[in-house]
Amino acid sequence: MIKLIHVVNQFFAGLGGEEKAGLPVGVIEGSAGAARGLAQKLGDEAVITSTIYFGDNYFHEHKEEALKKILDAVRAAEPAVLIAGPAFNSGRYGLACVEICQAAANALAIPCLTAMQEENPGVGAYREFVNARAYCLPTTEATTGMNDALTRLAHFALRLARGEDIGAAADEGYFNRGIRRIERTDRTGAQRAVEMLLKKINQEPFETEIPMEVWDDAPPAPPLAELKNRNLAIVTTSGVVPWGNPDKFKTYRNTYWRKYNIAELKELESGKWEAVHGGYNVAYMNQNPHYGVPLDALRALEAEGRIGPGKLYPAYYVIPGNQGSPTVMRRIGQEIAADLKKDNVEGVLFVAT
Amino acid sequence: MSKELEKAGLPVALISAMFPVAQQVRANRIVKGVSIPHPCGDPNLSKELDARLRREIIETALKALEADVKEPTVFSPAIASGG
Repeated sequence: MIKLIHVVNQFFAGLGGEEKAGLPVGVIEGSAGAARGLAQKLGDEAVITSTIYFGDNYFHEHKEEALKKILDAVRAAEPAVLIAGPAFNSGRYGLACVEICQAAANALAIPCLTAMQEENPGVGAYREFVNARAYCLPTTEATTGMNDALTRLAHFALRLARGEDIGAAADEGYFNRGIRRIERTDRTGAQRAVEMLLKKINQEPFETEIPMEVWDDAPPAPPLAELKNRNLAIVTTSGVVPWGNPDKFKTYRNTYWRKYNIAELKELESGKWEAVHGGYNVAYMNQNPHYGVPLDALRALEAEGRIGPGKLYPAYYVIPGNQGSPTVMRRIGQEIAADLKKDNVEGVLFVAT
Repeated sequence: MSKELEKAGLPVALISAMFPVAQQVRANRIVKGVSIPHPCGDPNLSKELDARLRREIIETALKALEADVKEPTVFSPAIASGG
């Protein structure tokens, strides 16, 4: 008999709604609440040995402790697969499900499965984690889709438990994680590329092997009138930082930004700054950091009155952009935007490498 | 990243040598940089010409911030790079 474990929030454990969102992690023997529905769908092949629950708020307010308790309980149960959710459109619950899957998949090396609506912020976190052992299935927005969600979770969990090969996201119906899979084919890359190109020329449908991120449109922000009265700031993904890299940026996949003071500086002196970036040859930038943070030109324009006195923000913003995941970079953009707005910056010069 | 700044209402002049990529991801005000490892200038030029080129790039970026654009628009600095 396959052993599974189900992780749910306090509501789906049947313990109460918002007033119980502070409940700490607990374990119920066998199935409870929504897990009962899941148990029915599993049939005779598998059993839910225990149901782990957590309060929606408790999880996020005591994340380390909550994850530790959950992992301890999962470890003790030795399940073949962990199932969390379905979370539908509940943001706190969805994020918790994804974080639990991520933690259990990494710590216990078991496949983990959750489900939620595509708009749930948990899906963004799931795509950011890019964990080959974690899967997330789509659900409806509201719990009206519970029956269908449980059916698909049960079916998918059984396949994972049996160790079946799981194919590409598009074929299997889970949310894609951006993991590139290697498959055997008897046609070379050149043959496939030419076939695709011919289809494209003939305006026939074709399927790319390397799908690109779909970008949403941001309407242009209004232009700046009377530029010399406007507060401007420099933002760069070049990775130019003070010499010695005090905030320990990595050369790739950074997850935070910093700003460095330039208020008193007329220029960036060679030897006092360096570029931390694994995506381009940093030799030129190290020699002359103005290639990434053009302070000399901005000060010259300030002296001539094209930029008003004191209108250049006293620090520049930086993150080495190499291999930044779109989700992370989106968050970084939002954080920097909030910081700029707080200090009344009105326009941005953005140097991208 | 630059699009999140625009969404917050801040006009962004994106100086990048990879302007086709910038267009593809639909940045709105794109300024042609010189090359990926040195967008704001050209180390092949003399120090003086390099500084002049950088100034031209920044002036172009300021003009981009003043420009009323409706869609991804590429602004080219008037002075071409060395090579």
